[in-house]
Amino acid sequence: MHRIVLPDIKNLQEIDVYLANQGYYGARLAFQKSPDDIIEIVKKSGLRGRGGAAFLTGLKWSFMPKVTSKPKYLCVNGDESEPGSFKDRQIFEFNPHQLIEGILITCYAIGAQTAYIYIRGEYHKWIKPVQKAIDEAYNNGFIGSRMKETFGTQFSCDIFIHKGAGAYICGEESSLMNSIEGQRAYPRVKPPFPAQNGLWGNPTTINNVETITNVPPIIKNGSEWFSSIGEPKHPGTLLFGVSGHVNKPGVYELPTGTLLTDIIEKYAGGVINAKRIKCIIPGGTSMPPLKGDSIEGLKMDAESLRAAGSAIGTGGIIVMDEDTDLVKVLARMTKFYYHESCGQCTPCREGTGWMLKILKRILDGKGTKSDLDLLISIANNIDGNTVCALGEAAAWPVKFTIARFRDEFENRVNESIQIPVNNKVHSMRKTKNPIDNIEIR
Amino acid sequence: MPKFQIDGKEFEFKNGQTVLEVALENGIDIPHFCYHPLLSISGNCRMCLVEIEKMPKLMISCSTLAAEGMVVHTQSERAINARKAVMEFFLINHPLDCPICDEAGECKLQDYTYQHSIGESRFTETKNLKEKRVPLGPYVMFDGDRCIACSRCIRFCDEIAKSSQLTFVKRGDRVTIETFPGMQLDNSYSLNVTDICPVGALTNRDFRFKARVWDMSATKSVCIGCSRGCNIEVWVRSNEIMRLTPRFNPDVNQYWMCDEGRLKTWKHVNSDTRINGPQLRKNGTLAEVGWDEAYAFAISELKNFNKDEIGIILSSSASMEDNYMGIKFGKSVLGAKYFGYKSKVLKGSGDDILITDDKAPNTFGLELLLKSFSVRIENSFEQVMSLINEGKIKALLVIEDDILSGSEELNKTLDRLDLLIVTASNMNKTAEKAHIIFAASTYAEKNGTFVNVSGRIQRTKPAVVTSERERSLDGFEMSRLDKFGTEWDKWGKVNKIEARASWKILNGLGVVMGQKLKYNMAEEVFVDLSKTIDKLSGLDYRAIGETGVQLKLTNTN
Ligand SMILES: Cc1cc2nc3c(=O)[nH]c(=O)nc-3n(C[C@H](O)[C@H](O)[C@H](O)COP(=O)(O)O)c2cc1C
Ligand code: SF4
Ligand code: SF4
Ligand code: SF4
Repeated sequence: MHRIVLPDIKNLQEIDVYLANQGYYGARLAFQKSPDDIIEIVKKSGLRGRGGAAFLTGLKWSFMPKVTSKPKYLCVNGDESEPGSFKDRQIFEFNPHQLIEGILITCYAIGAQTAYIYIRGEYHKWIKPVQKAIDEAYNNGFIGSRMKETFGTQFSCDIFIHKGAGAYICGEESSLMNSIEGQRAYPRVKPPFPAQNGLWGNPTTINNVETITNVPPIIKNGSEWFSSIGEPKHPGTLLFGVSGHVNKPGVYELPTGTLLTDIIEKYAGGVINAKRIKCIIPGGTSMPPLKGDSIEGLKMDAESLRAAGSAIGTGGIIVMDEDTDLVKVLARMTKFYYHESCGQCTPCREGTGWMLKILKRILDGKGTKSDLDLLISIANNIDGNTVCALGEAAAWPVKFTIARFRDEFENRVNESIQIPVNNKVHSMRKTKNPIDNIEIR
Repeated sequence: MPKFQIDGKEFEFKNGQTVLEVALENGIDIPHFCYHPLLSISGNCRMCLVEIEKMPKLMISCSTLAAEGMVVHTQSERAINARKAVMEFFLINHPLDCPICDEAGECKLQDYTYQHSIGESRFTETKNLKEKRVPLGPYVMFDGDRCIACSRCIRFCDEIAKSSQLTFVKRGDRVTIETFPGMQLDNSYSLNVTDICPVGALTNRDFRFKARVWDMSATKSVCIGCSRGCNIEVWVRSNEIMRLTPRFNPDVNQYWMCDEGRLKTWKHVNSDTRINGPQLRKNGTLAEVGWDEAYAFAISELKNFNKDEIGIILSSSASMEDNYMGIKFGKSVLGAKYFGYKSKVLKGSGDDILITDDKAPNTFGLELLLKSFSVRIENSFEQVMSLINEGKIKALLVIEDDILSGSEELNKTLDRLDLLIVTASNMNKTAEKAHIIFAASTYAEKNGTFVNVSGRIQRTKPAVVTSERERSLDGFEMSRLDKFGTEWDKWGKVNKIEARASWKILNGLGVVMGQKLKYNMAEEVFVDLSKTIDKLSGLDYRAIGETGVQLKLTNTN
């Protein structure tokens, strides 16, 4: 069995242990090749991004201009805010040096001399081990100006941690760059794309923590080795974060293409009390949920999940058993997107709050049948019309949960007893923002 | 030139132009809130979404570059539905207090609601509430409920006023505008945000709740606050100026004007310090008299002095026409030799945006006039004052300038005069000392021309009627009230000041004293004066038009 990102080696986070296990050997190999060769190897390996969109990593790197007078940057996305996703922090805690080594190789490949690891503020516990690893690597000459002696190369780079202040939107790549720049974390309108106009207007590549951590083994073992693992179109392993109604929630590193049912039964210990699964989200809450009875034979890789009407996302699997109240789940997820919408663009800013108010009303037993179509219509009006993909992330759960579990929603609105007339006239306003009163736990 | 298609029609474009820019240039109105031609592209409002063939998603036309062969649809079902959706989103939490909102009538949200929304609301929840009536600075009031978060105001401060004072705070539908901690919105251009705010979220504290937009007339004119001469509109209701707003002129002020100009250049027109008809000093005190009596008295008094004993003070704030008649009357009727004008330059008061050091709108033009009559320019004012002190000048004619303001020491000088005649619109220190006051019209009550700091000649037009004029007969801009107000309409009662343009007053005096030409209209004066200055030759009011004409400059200017 392959463990690429989190090998089964005790205390691998210690630099001595890491070095004793071929640590920084991948970087040494890489610096003997040309940057273009590295990009070529990563392209051939078929490595795809682990940050949600499964974009081809080598291809992304090749967008960076070869000739430019501007400095280039690498941003490593460790914002990890997607509900259901808690994998990058395992790397921070148990294998930070492989992440650092991956950063060195990536910087070399794209010609960057500065890398920022953007870590969400709530992860202060995990920022410490990463900073410790960076310090050790500096002390041992693996980062910074001493790299030239250590590796006998002209290339050197610096790595900094940038701590977020706790906003989901900072994980969106252009928002992340604004945040590093000290701006309000509003996503940027694209084009221009980061490879042309990124951090401080300079060419920039953004990759997920797990993506970068895959790089050193690929350099050490070759692209063919990597592409032979898992599904050919989406090779390698994934860190599956399993949560919800399972006996052994946790992070499992498994080859792509592993059966979803196997992940739940063989690794995560099966559903609590052996109940049936009503609903399962395969890739973090932004991805469409699937019906529990539709996952037989479903492989966990980008292509298979697309075919099944969902997406691999960040591999955060949320299992919900037959007793789960999906109206409540959807309301809670919608509250998250409502809370995290940055408020820049109209459909997401206004639509998320509107959907939440309706869902809350349905929860309160004041829903009507027309509310369901209205919700889908609002979600459709957000979908595709926003600056960044948070719009879709908010719209998809609403659209797909209602579409795929319509019965449950219809039953709920049919139970309603009261038709609301809520619009108070101006002079009657007493409360503060009405949405402040919405409590969904 | 490369070409592309919008709604089936082919258009040429320059590389780098966006779809929206080309559309607007060609009269296709793609609705938009956050886009502003002089601000950076923000792309947040999503109102300008259009369908572009071969692109899977709808694209915002403000940031999408036109490309050869591109096929754009602004009227496809998808594009129309997107606009309806965006309008619905805008309106769900919007207070719709149009009936009490100053923006109503010139509100993009209101207009687009009629043009692009579904006309009903599917929103039955309680609306979000935000702070109302937040003073952001000395001049601007903010209403959070009405803000549509377009960021125009923020970008204006950052990019045009060059002083970052505004920011968004909070997230999602709680987003609102605040000033940075410890700051106020108090840059010299702050009120422009009230013009570019597409809704009534930012209002002018000086104008709030004063008038409905449709009850006012808007007259195209020029600001007299400094030598930039920003193009403006003068908004009048019931013959009172209510506000000024900047008017687009790409060669002068773009879309902007400064707060000083906007707030401080017109209050005197409505003020109760207005001089209402001529006044004569009788037994030491000023008394109102009729025009004929004032003329007759002035002429009989002036006859008592030699040519050399008469001085004339012109004004860099007065129009070309007024100054021209001042020089002409002085030279050909009185034979005066000494002319002067008091500089209004305040060194260091200008900036590199619009505001200039020279607080007078027509210094350039006045100097052109003085040169064409070979009259001394350097220290001309000081020369006249010292000649008074020496007892050589005994009679002084002051045209539209309060020369005592800021120069208290000149009190004694003026005390030495045997005769002081002034034309003035408002009572001021100089007028208080006068023997004869002629009530002058303000720039807002007459036609006139002014030459700005870069040598551009521009027109002011009458927006307020004086006793000698009639709104409808004299071609004034008309408001709904002017057109349809009845005699029982409480707004219809207008107060008219008894005043005349300075050129008219001087021409009136001149004619009685034997001057040949009698002018009936300001334009006749202008046509005459344009003949004496090469740079103006061939110009008339029509040629100057609404946005002015740049004069050809030579090195000697
Ligand atoms: C609202 C939003 C939140 C995101 N949050 C994260 C995140 O926490 N971590 C992450 O790696 N990518 C996140 N992404 C995706 C990034 O924008 C970007 O695609 C990714 O970091 C690219 O890395 P990859 O190519 O290695 O997958 C987010 C995207 C959106 C729209
Ligand atoms: S889609 Fe939502 S999160 Fe993204 S820019 Fe728009 S308002 Fe912000
Ligand atoms: S901003 Fe516009 S739509 Fe809103 S209340 Fe004012 S006039 Fe009405
Ligand atoms: S106050 Fe006006 S200009 Fe500023 S963001 Fe709000 S709507 Fe836009």
